[in-house]
Amino acid sequence: MKGPVNYEIAFVYLTSKLKQTLVAVMGVTFGISMYVFMNSFMTGVNDVQTDLAFSALAHIRVYNDGPADNTDLVRKVYPEGTLSNIRSARVIQYTEGIKHSGEIIHFLRQQPELKAITPEVNVNVFFRNGANKVNGTLSGVDVENENRVFQSATYMLEGNWNALKYRNDGLILGSGLAANLSLHVDDNVNVLTADGNAKTYKVIGIFQTNVTSVDKTKAYLSIGATRQLLAKNADYVTDIQVNIGDFHQAEKVARRIAPIIPYKTESWQASNQQLEAGSRLRDIIAVAVSLTILLVAGFGIYNIMNMTINEKIREIAILKAMGFNGKDITRIFLTLAMVIGLVGGVIGLLFGYAVSVTVNHIPFRIASLKYLPMAYRWQDYSMAFCFGLATTFIAGYMPSRRASRIDPVIIIRG
Amino acid sequence: MSATIALRAENIIKYFDQPERFQVLKGISFDVQKGEFLALVGKSGSGKSTLLYVLSTMDTDYEGGLHVSGEKMTGKTQNELAAFRNSQIGFVFQFHYLLPEFTALHNVMLPALKLGRKSRAQIEEEAMAHLSTLDLRDQAMKAASKLSGGQQQRVAIARALINEPSIIMGDEPTGNLDSRNTQVVFDIFRGLAREKGQTIITVTHDEDFARNCDRVIELSDGRVISGVH
Ligand SMILES: Nc1ncnc2c1ncn2[C@@H]1O[C@H](COP(=O)(O)OP(=O)(O)O)[C@@H](O)[C@H]1O
Ligand SMILES: [Mg+2]
Repeated sequence: MKGPVNYEIAFVYLTSKLKQTLVAVMGVTFGISMYVFMNSFMTGVNDVQTDLAFSALAHIRVYNDGPADNTDLVRKVYPEGTLSNIRSARVIQYTEGIKHSGEIIHFLRQQPELKAITPEVNVNVFFRNGANKVNGTLSGVDVENENRVFQSATYMLEGNWNALKYRNDGLILGSGLAANLSLHVDDNVNVLTADGNAKTYKVIGIFQTNVTSVDKTKAYLSIGATRQLLAKNADYVTDIQVNIGDFHQAEKVARRIAPIIPYKTESWQASNQQLEAGSRLRDIIAVAVSLTILLVAGFGIYNIMNMTINEKIREIAILKAMGFNGKDITRIFLTLAMVIGLVGGVIGLLFGYAVSVTVNHIPFRIASLKYLPMAYRWQDYSMAFCFGLATTFIAGYMPSRRASRIDPVIIIRG
Repeated sequence: MSATIALRAENIIKYFDQPERFQVLKGISFDVQKGEFLALVGKSGSGKSTLLYVLSTMDTDYEGGLHVSGEKMTGKTQNELAAFRNSQIGFVFQFHYLLPEFTALHNVMLPALKLGRKSRAQIEEEAMAHLSTLDLRDQAMKAASKLSGGQQQRVAIARALINEPSIIMGDEPTGNLDSRNTQVVFDIFRGLAREKGQTIITVTHDEDFARNCDRVIELSDGRVISGVH
């Protein structure tokens, strides 16, 4: 036991200059609460951004990338320099969509990371209502699995998502698309495909994702009805959408399975790099700002510790004259700093939480948001606490070392 | 070295470098017997305080040799010396240095708490006993900063006694005291030397005080001019 008397002395010093102690505690409190708040806020913003993005985006998408570049077929077969003259080259056979989709889905289901998977038949069509004609995307979906991947049901403004499953003639329209076509639930809409097939459906629901480009162009139909419209067989699929447990891992998983699947396998990061960049940049800003605040708090502690030690330089000399050694002195003042750090840290966590909750109640009505977003993650809190303690330790250690090196005779001799 | 010798100074030489290099102690040698009550006298500026800091092991920047209780002090590390001081040497400063935010009682207890050989209750009891002898029982719970100069000086003396050190050193320990309290301190020192065999080395300007000691060593200009057997 290395002398509880040192802690006793530290305690007397802490309580005898209560005002100074409180200022130091407040510095730490401020630093840590801002750290908590900044990081919770940025995480909240990132989460909202991600939610918004993943309303229309799966983690991994498998699709047919279209035919390879076949503008110069001759070159592929004959040696360099062969003269050729081919005009108006035409592709005579090209498979659209994904063949053997059943096998691919079966393979994907075996991946341990997989959380949800859904096949889609996406096709560009014209939606017509009388004289109104709007170009858009008709998405033929596996109703239940689609909901598992995209939480489609949560975006329903009117009607019921699951009704799609039982109504081969029912269509769910994006809110913007419905407005452009002047359509309401129970109205009829005519769909015209590129191949010239047309069919009339009933509007059974309206959804809104708040991603305008989706709401203005997209409509859902059950996958079976879509195949019927396109006159395709029961295996026909254009996209396979996959969600995995941790969306940060999408790139890794996509890279692993891509060689096995004979179609384009793309992670959300690859197709939407601006999202990833945005969230990374926000994380960097949060860390930079909060570390700066902690640094300032650290300097505060450093100053107060130095001031305290200058004030007590004679007392330190006396303690040493009485037989306290350098380690005892370091321990006394480091204890002082660490108590300030611990108390300031705990209050800082509570205060940071209070600030977060308050900001989380500030109205912010854009897109699907009602209030400013906020995340409450224990990681942010424990990181803040660790950084706070580390800062106090460093800021307290340097002056304490200086105190431990004080030569008592020089001070006492005067 | 004889077992009866409490302290031996061998040709102690010390220079100050500031403001210019000058020799304060010019080769000081003497022995102090166990249980001896020794007074160091001399004109102001003759080097008494400087010598006492060397003898107390606080000042290590000197030439020559110092032995205390048969142990060689010269060459020990600062931490070893601190531990040695804690158990073996009690010191009363010229200017009664107490820790102002601590109570008188707590000030007296600190060296014993640091030593850690006794229970807190026992330390407190002994500290209280020392304060009572010095007529400070009523002041025990007051912050040291609230005491008068003379009271502070007596608290500092009690603090020097708490670990029952083999040597007690004082730099004009009675300088701030009236004649009655000076007599109290003298009697305490006398008793410690005679009954407990503790060695007392004290700088004093008080001629009566010096006259009643076992031996007087007189310094002049960094040399011992009388008092060495
Ligand atoms: N820290 C110091 N630096 C330089 N000279 C000093 C210092 N302390 C004391 N002196 C000088 O050393 C001499 C002896 O001082 P000191 O030991 O305090 O004398 P005394 O205690 O006998 O009055 C004096 O001339 C004094 O001016
Ligand atoms: Mg002096």
